[in-house]
Amino acid sequence: MTQALYRKWRPLLWDEVVSQEHIIQTLKNAVASNRVAHAYLFSGPRGTGKTTAARLLAKAVNCLNPDVTHRPCNECAHCKAVNENRFMDLIEIDAASNNGVDDVRELKEKINFSPSQGTYKVYIIDEVHMLSAGAFNALLKTLEEPPPHAIFILATTETHKIPATVLSRCQRHEFRRVPLGEITRRLNEICKSEGLEADTDALNTISRQSSGGMRDAISLLDQLSSTGGKITLELAQTVLGTATSQSVIALVQAVIDQQPGSGLDEIHRALDGGADARALARQIVDYLRNLMLVQMGNGDQVEVPADTRAQMIKHANALTSSEVLRMMRAFNAAATDPRGGWSPSLGLELAFAEVLELPAQAEVVSAPRAASRTSAAPAPQAESTRIQPPISQTPTKITESQPKVATVTLEQVTKAWKHISSLVKAKDTNVAALLNSGKPIEIREGILLLAFASDILQEKFNRPESLDLTRKALHESLGVDLPVQAVIIGSKNALPSHVKPDGMVAAANQLGGEIVDIH
Amino acid sequence: MNTWNIFGHDWAVEMLQQHVAHNTLRHAYLLTGPSGVGRRTLAIRLAQALNCQTPKAPGVPCQACRTCKQFEAGQNIDLMVIQAEAEGGTLKVEQVREVTKFLSLRPYSSPYKIVIFLRFQEANPNAQNALLKTLEEAPSHALLLLTADNAEQLLPTIISRCEILRLRPLSVDAVTDFLAARGVEPGKARLLGHLSGGRPGFALRLSADEKALAFRTEKLDDLRALLAARRRERFTYAEKLSKDKDIFRQTLFIWLSYWRDVLMKASGAALEPTNIDRADEIGNLSYDIDRPQARAITEGVEKALDRLDKNVNARLLAEVMLMDWPMVK
Ligand SMILES: Nc1ncnc2c1ncn2[C@@H]1O[C@H](COP(=O)(O)OP(=O)(O)OP(=O)(O)O)[C@@H](O)[C@H]1O
Ligand SMILES: [Mg+2]
Ligand SMILES: [Zn+2]
Ligand SMILES: [Zn+2]
Repeated sequence: MTQALYRKWRPLLWDEVVSQEHIIQTLKNAVASNRVAHAYLFSGPRGTGKTTAARLLAKAVNCLNPDVTHRPCNECAHCKAVNENRFMDLIEIDAASNNGVDDVRELKEKINFSPSQGTYKVYIIDEVHMLSAGAFNALLKTLEEPPPHAIFILATTETHKIPATVLSRCQRHEFRRVPLGEITRRLNEICKSEGLEADTDALNTISRQSSGGMRDAISLLDQLSSTGGKITLELAQTVLGTATSQSVIALVQAVIDQQPGSGLDEIHRALDGGADARALARQIVDYLRNLMLVQMGNGDQVEVPADTRAQMIKHANALTSSEVLRMMRAFNAAATDPRGGWSPSLGLELAFAEVLELPAQAEVVSAPRAASRTSAAPAPQAESTRIQPPISQTPTKITESQPKVATVTLEQVTKAWKHISSLVKAKDTNVAALLNSGKPIEIREGILLLAFASDILQEKFNRPESLDLTRKALHESLGVDLPVQAVIIGSKNALPSHVKPDGMVAAANQLGGEIVDIH
Repeated sequence: MNTWNIFGHDWAVEMLQQHVAHNTLRHAYLLTGPSGVGRRTLAIRLAQALNCQTPKAPGVPCQACRTCKQFEAGQNIDLMVIQAEAEGGTLKVEQVREVTKFLSLRPYSSPYKIVIFLRFQEANPNAQNALLKTLEEAPSHALLLLTADNAEQLLPTIISRCEILRLRPLSVDAVTDFLAARGVEPGKARLLGHLSGGRPGFALRLSADEKALAFRTEKLDDLRALLAARRRERFTYAEKLSKDKDIFRQTLFIWLSYWRDVLMKASGAALEPTNIDRADEIGNLSYDIDRPQARAITEGVEKALDRLDKNVNARLLAEVMLMDWPMVK
């Protein structure tokens, strides 16, 4: 067995540490000016350089190089001893395995002896969040007044688990996720010196999947390189379980087009091709994040091939930013959901179905749902139900000034319905035909609900053109801005998910069992 | 079938075999995938590949020599298999301490000391944290193999220290062939191929269990009857169902796969249903139950499963879930 690349490539000099410039500079200055603090806390996500920096600092404060700006030097006896893991005055404690009061007590007993080799005794307490409350307490006093020859470096990924009393006694440094570009650069460096051949695309893919963890990235590079051949994008995709960018684009397109079947088919095609459901979900999130950048006018920050960019701009225009945000939430949940189980793809499928249902900006709170309903309206979390105004309907188009919120009643709408329908017909006979197969049933939270008998009709009507036309006609006829939404009243006992449970349909449902068929 | 005698996962086998053959094996691997997909088999095969006395080719174990047989049985002095006391249990910090002790001694007869952690997602945070240092800087004679349903269940610090092999479900055809090769009658092999969700190990367990298919039929019939039943009947059923937690869980898994089928159908997806023998019934249901409903129900069942494992009142769970189902005659 040969050593893992991430171990082999642990920086041995300050300059080899990637990305944590401000921290490294502070530590270097402290060493050079002999102003090293007595307790440090290094925190931040995994694989970003905490343990590495702790060891570097331990080495630097004991380095014998006469030029203080060159410490650590890796050449003096002390540096060599540290690198070979045999320096007596560097004591590294695994707090996760030695987390009790006794362990800390033992440490305290030894701390008063002066260093045996070096200038400082350095205690690295790694994974320090695992210390028990008692152990933290026992440590407190020592942290407050350590002997002058002692330095503590605590390292953790979970600062929130460290008591405030401990935090306040340490000089704190927050390590950040390593940016994409810097990871790729480091990987390139490693490839060069290890004699590995790698496609740029492959390295980019690795970096992207590592979420800022340098160790994760090097580990993946290692895995891909150890088969001996060239590191290709294809190999990276196989191991990571990522899909092609076309799959991602097709999925987002399916959401925009409201095409559940083709979207799910796309998911299954990608999975059959070897994609991993969570990896795919993560890719979708990445893509959506880019859409958001484009929408905010920061499209130049997005690094994609020209044809993808063109596609991206189209998608960015077809969706509102709140829609993109909501989609990101849903797919991110699918990517990070720790649920195990029977079908790895289920989370992704459900996320996809969810975003199809809710292309909404509006989120309103409704009355508590009737306790005795037997319908299958999706149980809303808390008591909030989402209303689904049509995708690209922009109220400002209609009334430049104050958009009047609906002050009309359902009765008024019904009375004017013929007129409204004729106004629509004058513009588009197809839409008018569709409109006639629907029926206004309720005005809910300022949105007119039109009931249709089948999901096909409902879906057909729920397109921006028909919704906009109808809305304009309503405005012309009644002088109010009343957004429209199609719902379906098809199956016998099904309560459409967007109909208020205490509305007329729900009432009928509770009374008679058999629902009134509106048609 | 590949050189390691494993159904599917060719790329993973290929990669590990190369690692062994080129001596580029690393000290820690994480094998993920749904249970029954072959995680453990792959780990054992890797251990064999490293130790086999008469390999067929570099990195290809014979599976017949004494050493290979010992590893197959999980009984070799240089092998340690660690797992929670039972499926659904907890892997504890004391067990991780034993591993550290085990690894501190040199191997006895093999070039490596190998530790296989099964279902590492069942390790509690203390146990996971206690493994971090060993997992990062294990002695040069150590090989650590972890298995889990998915990487997301583990601490990021654990994942970051491993090379990850994500095993994906196999195709229906692959699992069908796998069963047929083991003498399962073709019709049954095909059905189980569908029901397994691409997990050969699970399919094999099903095929060996006479009662499993009957149980499934019963529960699916119940589901259909429940849709037509009145509230009172549903309450009664919920009470009965929640009596035995294990049966409740198994039932939920069966129902979950069924509702997913309905969701796919109601969405117009081309995917063949998992419950292929009920394709017509599922097709009919998808006329009465629209996509949002199917999604809500599927999520409801999934949530119930999740909560059941978190020790929520089982009866309440069953009631809430069943009351949310629509009435379909
Ligand atoms: N900033 C960095 N620059 C260069 N390499 C890094 C950096 N951070 C991490 N690495 C690489 O990752 C490996 C692990 O880094 P390190 O042990 O410092 O991580 P850590 O922050 O302590 O993570 P954890 O919280 O998981 O313990 C190093 O050996 C090195 O290969
Ligand atoms: Mg560390
Ligand atoms: Zn030095
Ligand atoms: Zn053998």
